[in-house]
Amino acid sequence: MTRAALGPLLLALALRPAAGQLVTVGPQFVLADYREVASGLRYRGNGVGGALWARRDRLSVEAAVVRLSFDPADGSAATAGFTATQVDAWVAYDVATYASVEVGVLHRSADPEFDAQSVGAVRVGARSFYQIGPGATVAFRANYLAAPKFSGGGHAAVSLDLGLGLDVRLAGRLHGTATYAFNRMNRRTNPGGTGEIDAPIQESLARAGLALAF
Amino acid sequence: MSRYLGAVVLLAGLAHPAVGTAQAAQNATLRRAQQAYDNLEYRQVLTLAQAALRERLTGAERARAYELLGFTYGAMDSILKAVDAFKQVVLLDPERQLDPNRVSPKAYSAFDVALRQVLLVRQLRVDSVSFVGGQGAVPVRFTVTQPARVVARAIGSGATVVIDSGAWNGQVNLRWPARLPGGDPVPAGTYTLVVDARLGQNTFSASQPIRVSHGRVDTLPSVTSLPGYQFLPETEIPPQSWRPVGLAFLYTGGALVGTLGLESSSLGSSSKRELGLVGAAALVTGFVMMLRKPAARPAQANILYNHLLRDQIARRNQDIAKENVARRQQLQVTVAPVSQVTPK
Repeated sequence: MTRAALGPLLLALALRPAAGQLVTVGPQFVLADYREVASGLRYRGNGVGGALWARRDRLSVEAAVVRLSFDPADGSAATAGFTATQVDAWVAYDVATYASVEVGVLHRSADPEFDAQSVGAVRVGARSFYQIGPGATVAFRANYLAAPKFSGGGHAAVSLDLGLGLDVRLAGRLHGTATYAFNRMNRRTNPGGTGEIDAPIQESLARAGLALAF
Repeated sequence: MSRYLGAVVLLAGLAHPAVGTAQAAQNATLRRAQQAYDNLEYRQVLTLAQAALRERLTGAERARAYELLGFTYGAMDSILKAVDAFKQVVLLDPERQLDPNRVSPKAYSAFDVALRQVLLVRQLRVDSVSFVGGQGAVPVRFTVTQPARVVARAIGSGATVVIDSGAWNGQVNLRWPARLPGGDPVPAGTYTLVVDARLGQNTFSASQPIRVSHGRVDTLPSVTSLPGYQFLPETEIPPQSWRPVGLAFLYTGGALVGTLGLESSSLGSSSKRELGLVGAAALVTGFVMMLRKPAARPAQANILYNHLLRDQIARRNQDIAKENVARRQQLQVTVAPVSQVTPK
């Protein structure tokens, strides 16, 4: 068996639902707002991505990858846009009927590399979700972004991420999804050893898409 | 006209003291005695009835002749003679019974005294009954007119069983389990239930033929429900409420408050475009869900109730199965009287 054949087979096996298991996967359209250092440095962007969500009993896994093109917003001091690739991943465990605890990672890389900060962090938080109707679930999450690493150096003692999610079964296996995420990192940096200065980073993201359930 | 005649016949019947027993007498002398009694010619009744008794009469005619004498002596206030005549009547026909509403009190009391002066076993009755062998009994009842030593037995070709014995007087009620001394049911067949009464030198016996038959005991059908208990629906439609839109509003509000709280003052107010898009979708979804008919949800209490009910039914069916195993090894005993009591 070739590697090319093994990959899809493993993917198919991984996606095959067992009893008490549900998998959804689908594309997403993304809108984003990104700000860094000062109010004058702000970008607006959009892009596409994909999301995967899987549940087995009380354990669930969620991952989303988006590719964004940012352009300087009106009135921004920035002169050029950049492209960012953001990966979010969570592993959650239901501790109650309507709540789970979760851990995960956040990774955002910018291209060109020095036009914006690339960042990586570990997520720790909780999520509350509630079925508001047949096949419709609304969720709210709050994560602490621990030990963030920035491509330009520095540290952020307080970094938080919160989100709002909606999943609606539209017809049969077809789901509609919408996710809002807002994260803020109180980055402080010490350029040239002249003393620490604030260089906060703030991003808001809206994902809307369709997903197929298996 | 026919109505008038009917009323006359009815009145004549009511006026007649010896009600209902006298068949049309074949003996001419007895017929004349009856006619004389109807015409209230008592002296002639005495002459004719005594003459009839010297002739060849059937048992019923002889009893009727003595009965006419009893009524006539009663009417003539010769109570002792009336009692003697009625004694002969009950000896010839122990089952003879007078209706106190249709005979004179004098005649009735004379008849009652006569009954107490003669040892009789009367009104022997066996009820038809069917029961599982060993679990029931045959009701037997009779009347003993004087205190006497009484023995009740069932005599058949297969077995003779003593039902009970004792010193009894008046109404006696017995219960016969229809079992042999070993405990097994009596064999099927025809039996004669004999009641012997003894008082000094006087004895009297009454009997009643009965038929004992055996059959298989009916098995019980298994049950699918219990009387008075019904299965409940295991799902229920919750009432419509504002909860979906309320929750969507709560979650969206939480995201908005969180966003506003986390925004960095140095970066300025962030775009609310993203939150507006997702929040609006959540609110619209909540509103739609509020208007939609809610989905059926499991009714836990009903599910638990049904589970308990199924357990009870299963338990009852297990009991029925065990009982049926036992019933298949049992006999259904049916006892029925064959004919009326015959005096010995």
